[in-house]
Amino acid sequence: MIEHDFPEDFTPIAAELQRLPYLSPSRGFADRVISRIDRLNPQTALAPVPAHAGLELHQGGQAVAPRRRMGPVRVVGTAVAGVGLVAVASFLFVGIDILTAVLAAAVGQYSLVAAAFAAETGALVLGSEAMAYMQAGALEAVLLYLTLALGLFGGYAGIRTAASIAKRKAA
Amino acid sequence: MPPKSYTDVSDQQVVVFAQEGREDAYRELIKRYERPVFSLIYRMVRDTETAEDLAQETFIKVLNNIDRYRPEFKFSSWLFKIANNITIDHLRRRQIDTISIEGAPDALTGERARATAVTLASGGESPLEAMESRELGESIEKAIAKLRPEYRACIILRHVEDYSYDEIAEIVKLPLGTVKTYIHRARQELREYLGDLK
Repeated sequence: MIEHDFPEDFTPIAAELQRLPYLSPSRGFADRVISRIDRLNPQTALAPVPAHAGLELHQGGQAVAPRRRMGPVRVVGTAVAGVGLVAVASFLFVGIDILTAVLAAAVGQYSLVAAAFAAETGALVLGSEAMAYMQAGALEAVLLYLTLALGLFGGYAGIRTAASIAKRKAA
Repeated sequence: MPPKSYTDVSDQQVVVFAQEGREDAYRELIKRYERPVFSLIYRMVRDTETAEDLAQETFIKVLNNIDRYRPEFKFSSWLFKIANNITIDHLRRRQIDTISIEGAPDALTGERARATAVTLASGGESPLEAMESRELGESIEKAIAKLRPEYRACIILRHVEDYSYDEIAEIVKLPLGTVKTYIHRARQELREYLGDLK
């Protein structure tokens, strides 16, 4: 019973207010509430992935979609896109120029042919004796030049890589 | 060890069992408060379906956040606070201020009007007394329905639920002075509407 803190003329109204009956919700109210309590119904907290008619694989109680078959056009497209992505990423992150890479591959493939052609041309123009003199020690010279070139390129690539890593970390 | 019956168990203890994940404790809390909460909400919105939806929303919100309950406060105060917030939000959205005892203002059909009309229960009275009581109760319900929603909540919490002014201020999130003013004005308006009851 609350304290009497109202005027006398309000007493009958206060008495009637206290006599107001409680109203009841419809039947099943408690069940409807309980069905929405996450702790008691974990499946309502984690809504399941709607199952697809064609799904066959199951992992951890949840259906997963099977891998789709790829057509030839899709394979070629995917391969081209993949190579392109790798090339772009290589250029952006490692500094490998695609044109340089293509030329280097071409030089590697055709260097022997070019060398033979140059030797024949030289023998015709300069004579075989002059060519024999020039070719003496040529192998050592080539190895020396290759080592120097590799060192230069390796050092340059190392510096570029270190710089790009430092940039990324700073960003 | 959870009890077989929660009859003599305090709200705070029932809440502890609910926090442990016991469904019967959740059901006990619903059983204890479904009628007071539904009645408060109904008397504010005066529409059975809406009141039931809002009461359901209140219990779901409270029981899903039962771990956040702080035992230094009364569980019922926390529950009424959520119920009041949800109802006031609803009323602000719908702009329902006053409605008729004969049914909700948006009741377009007779069936809907009957469904939203107030039905009062009588307890162990003679038919004449029951009729008088029913008429009186309906007069009170009509008068409450004419009050502003803020006044309705305060006057019901004060005179129906027996809360102190401080508790009401906490529940409705208003300053103590404002609550006292609301209740004072609500009493004045009820006296005006129910003049012949004196």
